[in-house]
Amino acid sequence: MAKNIIVIGGGPAGLEASARLDALGYNVFLVEKETRLGGHLARWDRLFPEGVPAAPVLEKLVSGTGNTKVMLESEVLSLSRLGKSFRISLTSGVSVIADAVLMTTGFDLFDASKKEEYGYGIYDHVVTNADIEGYFRTGKDPRIGSPERIGLVHCVGSRDEKAGCRNCSKVCCATAVKQACELKAKFPSATVYCFYMDLRMFGRGYEDLYLKAQKEYGIRFIRGRVSEVSEKIDKTLQVKAEDTLSSTPLKVSLDLLVLMAGMRPSEAGAKVGKMIRLGTGDDGYFNTSDGFTGMQATSVPGLFVAGASTGPKTLPDTLSEARAASALIHEYLRES
Amino acid sequence: MTPFHILQVAPEVIDRVPGAYAHFVLPFCVGIVFCICWLGVGLVRVLANLSSSDRKALLLSLINPKTLWKDIKDIFCDCLLHLKIWQRKPLLGYMHSAIAFGWFLIIILGHLEVWLFAPRHLYLDNGALFYPIFYRYFIWVNPEHTTLRGSLFFFLMDLCLLYILSGIGLAIFKRFRSRLLGMKHTTKPSLMDRVALFSLWGIFPLRLLAESFTADLAGGSFLTLPANALLRFLFGNNLYYLPWWWAYSVCLGLFFVSLPFSRYMHILTEPLLILLRNAGIKVRHPRKGYAEAEIYACSSCGLCIDACPMNVQKKNLRFSSVYFIRFLRRHNEKKINRIADKCLQCGKCLALCPVGVDSPAIRRRQRAAYNDVLPFDYSPLKAPAPQGAVPGKVMYFAGCMSHLTPRIIKAVLEVFREAGEDFVFADENGGLCCGRPLLLAGKDRAAKTVIEANRKMIMESGCSTLVLSCPICLKVFKEEYKLQGIEVLHYTEYMDRLVAQERLTLKKGEGSYVYHDPCELGRGCGIYDAPRRLVGSVGELRKAEKEGDESVCCGGSLGSLTLSYEDRKKITAGALDNLLANHPDRIVTACPLCLKTFSDASSDVPVVDIAELVADSITRT
Repeated sequence: MAKNIIVIGGGPAGLEASARLDALGYNVFLVEKETRLGGHLARWDRLFPEGVPAAPVLEKLVSGTGNTKVMLESEVLSLSRLGKSFRISLTSGVSVIADAVLMTTGFDLFDASKKEEYGYGIYDHVVTNADIEGYFRTGKDPRIGSPERIGLVHCVGSRDEKAGCRNCSKVCCATAVKQACELKAKFPSATVYCFYMDLRMFGRGYEDLYLKAQKEYGIRFIRGRVSEVSEKIDKTLQVKAEDTLSSTPLKVSLDLLVLMAGMRPSEAGAKVGKMIRLGTGDDGYFNTSDGFTGMQATSVPGLFVAGASTGPKTLPDTLSEARAASALIHEYLRES
Repeated sequence: MTPFHILQVAPEVIDRVPGAYAHFVLPFCVGIVFCICWLGVGLVRVLANLSSSDRKALLLSLINPKTLWKDIKDIFCDCLLHLKIWQRKPLLGYMHSAIAFGWFLIIILGHLEVWLFAPRHLYLDNGALFYPIFYRYFIWVNPEHTTLRGSLFFFLMDLCLLYILSGIGLAIFKRFRSRLLGMKHTTKPSLMDRVALFSLWGIFPLRLLAESFTADLAGGSFLTLPANALLRFLFGNNLYYLPWWWAYSVCLGLFFVSLPFSRYMHILTEPLLILLRNAGIKVRHPRKGYAEAEIYACSSCGLCIDACPMNVQKKNLRFSSVYFIRFLRRHNEKKINRIADKCLQCGKCLALCPVGVDSPAIRRRQRAAYNDVLPFDYSPLKAPAPQGAVPGKVMYFAGCMSHLTPRIIKAVLEVFREAGEDFVFADENGGLCCGRPLLLAGKDRAAKTVIEANRKMIMESGCSTLVLSCPICLKVFKEEYKLQGIEVLHYTEYMDRLVAQERLTLKKGEGSYVYHDPCELGRGCGIYDAPRRLVGSVGELRKAEKEGDESVCCGGSLGSLTLSYEDRKKITAGALDNLLANHPDRIVTACPLCLKTFSDASSDVPVVDIAELVADSITRT
């Protein structure tokens, strides 16, 4: 009889792992708290570095899941060990006994209103990276209008101890440069600024994207953090920053400010982790059994992890981890 | 020389030892002489290290009847009756006043007794130094001639002794069970503290014993006479009393010798501190002059340990003011700087200190010792003049922190508009820092530069009233800016006034609120009522566990540049627990920094600023 595997979290990692495990002949149950699959990917319009549309990628991931039993709008009520197996019960009333569990609970976006000095939720024309993607998908966002001066703020809630997050969120630099180009393409007459601490364009093609942003799109990159934002009577935004390359304080008026909200450990995921006593680091992400050769294993036998639940990751990283986890689970179930 | 006419003693007594000397008084005399010499040297040191203007101020305060009366009143209330401790912890207050005031009374009564019955012994060559202390040894009653006044003194002396003994009893009890007297933490005594402590415990029980042994001959009352009878019953009629008088004297001597090296030095230093403080003298150096008086006036009681917001973590108890003062006293340079740096400057230790040692100020002086020498150049910075005509108007200065919390500015401006106030927003397009963060870091010269620039901008504007939304600014504006002719208000005071003048009508809603006193607004500027009135007029005001001048710092304070975020987070969590004791719907505060700190940490209960609350509750006609 085929063994049962539960995958918690229906984002890219969960989808890819379900597809691989299904192909290996296991009974896969995919648990998702939202009404749809795809996680943050479903909210995204295009992907860096080339600007590939996100929808077909997601479609491919979903269609690969085969016989996986997908349980939407289901949250984990309890998760406990039962001998060598796991017992899980869901808010939808379903209970499953599983031989292995894979946590692909991903991340939450940093709540940008916590950086109150940037005025998200207070001023009319301040949005986040996720809002921009929503705007490009639906074409609607009353906050955006037709801006002539646009600013993008990197590292909002990342590398910021005061905001409770010391780590780099890894994807925002490339996202910001991508969105800067997209905004410039959408509003060709606009001046677009990027306020960055330093640009971490580490992946294949990222540096090319950065070059293109400067050469083809004329994006203005300013090295320095935005200190505060205020709103004028005419609803334009007054942004104060420091240009650390020229060591001068800077003040610009903008019509739109985009905040690159970073990654925080998923709150819903943390709740499930606690049920099974899966440890976390100071940063709140799940601990893996080691940082090099055991990235998908945990201290609990039969419990595996993949994707951004163990730290910020790009989409290709996440998908690779999902495949690695599938192989590891297969090995584990064959031995036991 | 003793004048001839008082060579006699009163008929009630027999001057048993006309030479007025016995060997057992030696330990006491050595102790008291040593102590007086040490005090004298200390006093000269403190005075010598004061600046000449401070010395002049001290002298003037001593001839000014008003300050002199205040000196006497403060010394009586604080050093003898310990009213400050009574107010917070009655049992602890009773203990202190019993020992201090009781001892004081017994000394006064002792001298009075000598003056009435054997006045010639009040002269130095006739044993004045020790005679009143050991009176019952030297003077016996004349059984042929007993009077009412004699018995009255016996009674009063026994009463005082009982009063002191009850205090000592509580003190011994407290040493083992401090919690029952309202203290969670107390300091660990040093060796000399222990010597002084145990001799202090011993003095009065030994006095009781010594006096009981001689009560049949020297007289006694309800305490000593029955004790004497009991002793006779136990040991027979020939009571050998000399060893007890020796023990009593040795105990006193030991106490006075150890006193200067122990925490009990505060008994003698506190009056000096009161005189200096009432003369308006401020601390200028972290170790010398006024600071030295404060350091020795610290009773090391440890009330500041419980007060310090850092005590939520046991490992941070060492940053408490009492240990800072202790290390200063011991010249432990290594530890002083570290401890001086960690303090959040919330001022709660000062508010609760029974002696009034301003350790936050000493810490700032210590910081200045290594920070104020750093170079700085603020020449490119200008305080921009406000736009529009200002003279006679209200000016609003938001400050840096309010600019980081735009919802406060938005709400304050809305209230201004609703009240129809013709105002000017001074730093709408940015302004200079108020200077307080620099002062807190000990960068006095740098602070002075920005203060001067801001002051010039404000004075030149000609505004009549200055409204501030940040208590951090408010404190420095009130204390350092010297804005003659301009009323400086926090916006809670200003809005409270608008409501009183009926320029603003607020609608009372359903919600319940707890108000957090920001350190700089409450303890810093003494503003507690205006914000509470405002909150009370828009909803139900619930109490926090500790509030008013005992409120707990939010942990976001600019007071420390080196305290880690992990430590701060724990302080914030502790402060939130304190606020949520009575389960309010929302937390209200009146400081942008508290607002920001609590908003980030409070996940279940929303945090709002009073300005928002008021702006949302205005009844618009």
